[in-house]
Amino acid sequence: MATYLPLFMLFGVAALIAGGMFVATTWAGPKVPNDAKAEPFECGNPSDGARNIRPSVKFYLTALLFVVFDIEAVMIYPWAVQFRELGYTGFFTMASFLALLAIVLIYAWRKGALEWEK
Amino acid sequence: MSDSVFFAIAPLLVVSLGGLLLMMTEVFATRRADADGPSSDLAMGTFITMLAGAITAFALWLVGPDNLAGAKAVAPYLLVDRFTLFFDMVLCLGGGIAALLAGGYLPEHKLDRGEFYPLLIFSTAGAMVLASAGDLLSLFIGLETMSLGVYAMVGFRRGSMRSTEAAIKYFLLGSFAAALLMYGGALLYGVTGKTALAGIGAAIRAGVSSTDWGILLLSMVLILAGLAFKVSAVPFHMWTPDAYEGAPTPATSFMAVAVKSAAFAMMLRVLISVFGDPLSTSWGTGWPPVVALLAVLTMTVANLVAGRQSSVKRMLAYSSVAHAGYVLVGVVALVEEPGTAQGSIMFYLLSYTVSTAGAFGALILCGSRGKEAVSYEDLAGLGKRHPAVALIFSFFLLSLAGMPPTAGFFGKLYIVSSSIGAGLHTLAVLLVLNSVLAAYYYLRVMEYMYMREPAAGAPIAVPMRSGYVRAALAICAVAVLVLGLWPTSSLSMAIDAALALR
Amino acid sequence: MSSFAVLAIAAGLIAAAVPTRGSRTHRLSLAAITAFVVLAIGWLWPEGAATAPAAAKEAVEGADTSPSILLNLLIGVPIGGAIALLFLPRQMLSLVRGFTYAIFAVTFLLSLWLLSVPMTDGWHFQYIADWIPIAGIRYHVALDGISLWLVVLTTFTTPIAAFASFGSIDKRIKELCIAFLMLQGAMIGTFLALDLFLFYVFWELMLIPMFLLIGIWGGAERRMAAMKFFIYTMAGSVLMLAAILYLVWTHHELNGFWTFDYLALCQVVLPGVPGTISPQALCFWAFTLAFFIKVPVFPLHTWLPDAHVQAPTGGSVVLAAVMLKMGTYGYLRFSMGLFPAQAAHAAATLAGLVIMFGIIWGALCAWKQSDVKRLVAYSSVAHLGFVMLGLFGATTSGIKGAVLQMINHGIATGALFLLVGVIYDRRHTREVSEFGGLAKVMPVYATLFVIVTMASIGVPGTNGFIGEFMVIAGTFVSERLNQFGPIQAVAAAFGVILAAVYMLGVVQKMFFGPLSNPKNKTLKDISPRETLALAPLILVIFLIGWFPQLMLDRMDAAVQTTRLRFVNTVLEVSPNPKAAQAVPPGVFSESFLKGAPKKPSADPKKKKVAMRPTKRGGAK
Repeated sequence: MATYLPLFMLFGVAALIAGGMFVATTWAGPKVPNDAKAEPFECGNPSDGARNIRPSVKFYLTALLFVVFDIEAVMIYPWAVQFRELGYTGFFTMASFLALLAIVLIYAWRKGALEWEK
Repeated sequence: MSDSVFFAIAPLLVVSLGGLLLMMTEVFATRRADADGPSSDLAMGTFITMLAGAITAFALWLVGPDNLAGAKAVAPYLLVDRFTLFFDMVLCLGGGIAALLAGGYLPEHKLDRGEFYPLLIFSTAGAMVLASAGDLLSLFIGLETMSLGVYAMVGFRRGSMRSTEAAIKYFLLGSFAAALLMYGGALLYGVTGKTALAGIGAAIRAGVSSTDWGILLLSMVLILAGLAFKVSAVPFHMWTPDAYEGAPTPATSFMAVAVKSAAFAMMLRVLISVFGDPLSTSWGTGWPPVVALLAVLTMTVANLVAGRQSSVKRMLAYSSVAHAGYVLVGVVALVEEPGTAQGSIMFYLLSYTVSTAGAFGALILCGSRGKEAVSYEDLAGLGKRHPAVALIFSFFLLSLAGMPPTAGFFGKLYIVSSSIGAGLHTLAVLLVLNSVLAAYYYLRVMEYMYMREPAAGAPIAVPMRSGYVRAALAICAVAVLVLGLWPTSSLSMAIDAALALR
Repeated sequence: MSSFAVLAIAAGLIAAAVPTRGSRTHRLSLAAITAFVVLAIGWLWPEGAATAPAAAKEAVEGADTSPSILLNLLIGVPIGGAIALLFLPRQMLSLVRGFTYAIFAVTFLLSLWLLSVPMTDGWHFQYIADWIPIAGIRYHVALDGISLWLVVLTTFTTPIAAFASFGSIDKRIKELCIAFLMLQGAMIGTFLALDLFLFYVFWELMLIPMFLLIGIWGGAERRMAAMKFFIYTMAGSVLMLAAILYLVWTHHELNGFWTFDYLALCQVVLPGVPGTISPQALCFWAFTLAFFIKVPVFPLHTWLPDAHVQAPTGGSVVLAAVMLKMGTYGYLRFSMGLFPAQAAHAAATLAGLVIMFGIIWGALCAWKQSDVKRLVAYSSVAHLGFVMLGLFGATTSGIKGAVLQMINHGIATGALFLLVGVIYDRRHTREVSEFGGLAKVMPVYATLFVIVTMASIGVPGTNGFIGEFMVIAGTFVSERLNQFGPIQAVAAAFGVILAAVYMLGVVQKMFFGPLSNPKNKTLKDISPRETLALAPLILVIFLIGWFPQLMLDRMDAAVQTTRLRFVNTVLEVSPNPKAAQAVPPGVFSESFLKGAPKKPSADPKKKKVAMRPTKRGGAK
């Protein structure tokens, strides 16, 4: 248990700082409310109005592509840790994996999935 | 060379790399505005890729999987044996024919987007992984790779409510089935601590405690239910007619043929390697009564319901459910007659593949832009207006009905034979009686084509013209005839490929 | 020979003089047909100089010299012709028809060649080739004195049916020709196949053309009738398939190799004692059910009136003349050949059934029909009841009579359907009440109708008499039927009287009496084309009626040995309720077993991939 004590302390300090900042700004900051600031969150869709609006498919495309290319990091990380031990086999395996991803990227690019305005 | 891993998994590599290549050619090809759509070259490319995959598999067959040193490197994740290679060939055949059908169908129905072909290829690759998987992990990867592509293909006609509905239904139920399978697999792992199928099987044979036996039974039930979803056995078939009807017909053909074959390959592997111990295969405590019940229900319900359909496509969907029932009879026979039954199942899947793909292809050929032939009425008088189309459609229907001298007949005969050999006389009789029920609705199509005239003023479906579809039909027709008249070589291949023989 | 040539010329001249208003072609064709029939009589004449010396020499040497390719041609030519016809343009009607006639002519001539070989004991024209060796399936066709006449009947009546059809059908001629050719090839194949797989293939193959014939060119309810025909027949035959496979497995258990061959499976006796539910009984009934549906035997006959009434004339002719014979032939060859004990056990009961519900009830049904075609259809039920009775009795005379009666029924009922077709083409109705006094406006037609009616009733001098007499005589003395034989013979004879009642009743109502219906006043008499279709049938009616020995001689050996085999197997194999056994050697003659499959010797080069690789304990 003692081993984890510093970790818990870190959590505690982090929570304290975050909470403290909220409290501090509420007390200390000047308040000039306007419409934009009254929005609960400042990006994405408006939070009122009809609920059945359909967001553009581009959002999903982007999200999907993000997932595809973000996950690659998860794959590459363990390889990087074991880089020397895996040697050339590991290198070529990873290279072919990245080549696959590159092909996918090219495909997405040429298909126009990366273009926001069209 | 023959030691290489790449050599051992060559069919899979050929298909996947071909798919990548086609993806690149599609995006980099420059097309004039007035030129044909992407189908014009992608269909042929896909077909050639599949053909190459099948030929590679056949080459490996000739080399003999035992001589492939590289195969050990991928085991047990991918098992390279004759069973795998046989299914590789069947799946490539099914995929290739679907590609040819798509080459005619998509441009005709204004769906000509190139994505269809990579989806098809990678689905096939997934199916091949599934058929060769010897480990729960690779099995699941294969299953999902196959399914994801098919989900997208089912919903390919984006503008159509039916297609979208079909895709959603198939997706939800398919994921549900996958979840069941996964849960069952997880329980297996929990009991035995292994993920390789052979290892799990060995652990079960070595004996498990009675508590664990309860868990094993649970996992068996879950896995069977998941498999039943995938092969669309009654009562897990509800998605089938909707998904088959809503999907573009080439995708339907692929689902009916390749997806089902791969699912049966998985079923055979799981039932033989994992649940092959005496306790699991006994009629008192194991899966045979469950599968037998599934088989009877599937055959009977599907045949009865199929007779009541007004849409030919939906009828074919139910008929494919019924055929799954016939194969399940063979699965029950595995217990007593492992070699024969498995050979019969595999030969049946091969003959079913060519017959069904042919039937869907003929249905495609019957309709054209804006008027797809789906109902019986659309086919009325076809025998008079377009005798060649009607003739070839009848031929495939007769094969599905199991009339000699077609592939369907010999396949059915062989399944009946193996079930009689296994002592399952009641099941065999139920099977043949069911094929009489089935003959009714297949003949009804012929009745409409040859013995009725279209109603006055009804829109007449004009057959489309497409070299691709015709080529696909020609391949299927030759295969149906050859498998029906000279089944010896393919039959001995199927028997060689039977797992239980090794 | 020369005396017959003179006779033939004389007969031809007489025939040419018969039609009073006929054209030259008409006269010539009639003369040719008549002369041909007379020549055929001379040729078939048993001991005269007419028998060709070559044939006589063959008789000494045995049947081995018979050309084995002939049967393949008989099956292959029509089927090949049908396939070739697919590629002929449909617009060229005369070409399509001419081609069909040519194929029919070739097949008929080939079948006449069959007659040139004396039908001794055993198989003739045997041809064996491996087909699917892995499952022990062979292409095995052969002929004996029984199937000989059925094949000749097929090649004889199918062209007539097609010829008649071309007269009344004018749509989709190409499909019609293909259907007829396929049908003929499949029917011949069914009669010749000695491998049960092959038999089943032809048996099913036959259904599709008939389904199309009824469904495309039939009457108002044709689709329902076609479907009913198909489903009924298929329901029976799939059960037969299951039984075949059971037999094959049992044979494998006993002898260790796969075969579907009739000669090998004959030697397998399935476990079971007659009278109990056993594999033997179930398999026997699976086979018998398939054949009974086809015959048809009450209560499985309900498809028949519909199919006959709705089918076009040509279809009805083939259906009645040949296809119903599949059932009786199948029972004789397969049910009795493979399960003699069961067949012997059930014979008396079944004989009672066919007399009660086939011969008598069928006749009563026929009597009450108002539609002539339906009447003829029900009369088929009655006639085939006689055939079945002869088979159940299993005496030499009974079986011979049954085989002869199969041919007779084919000829007479075929002719009746043609005649009904003639009147239907003119009036588009077949209601008896619509007609009356037709003999005044259609004298030739009436004459022919009366002649064929006589044949159908079995008046002495026509073919029907010989067959029915032999069947009843056989029934009387049959030991299979135990003490019931004489009673059943009397009941069957009563059926003959009933046949006279309903057939003559309808003749009287249609042709005699006042010509009351004004629509009938202007009817044209039978046309030259229709006479040409009927002439051969009518000549054959008298040919068999006067010279039955021509046919009986050739079937004699086959019937004798079939019967002996049946009786001996029943006597010498003691039933075993538990295990399957083999028929002891010596029960079957060498000539019968010629060509039976041998156990393949272990070939080291060949892999041992049998249908079943692992040994399973215990017989089921």
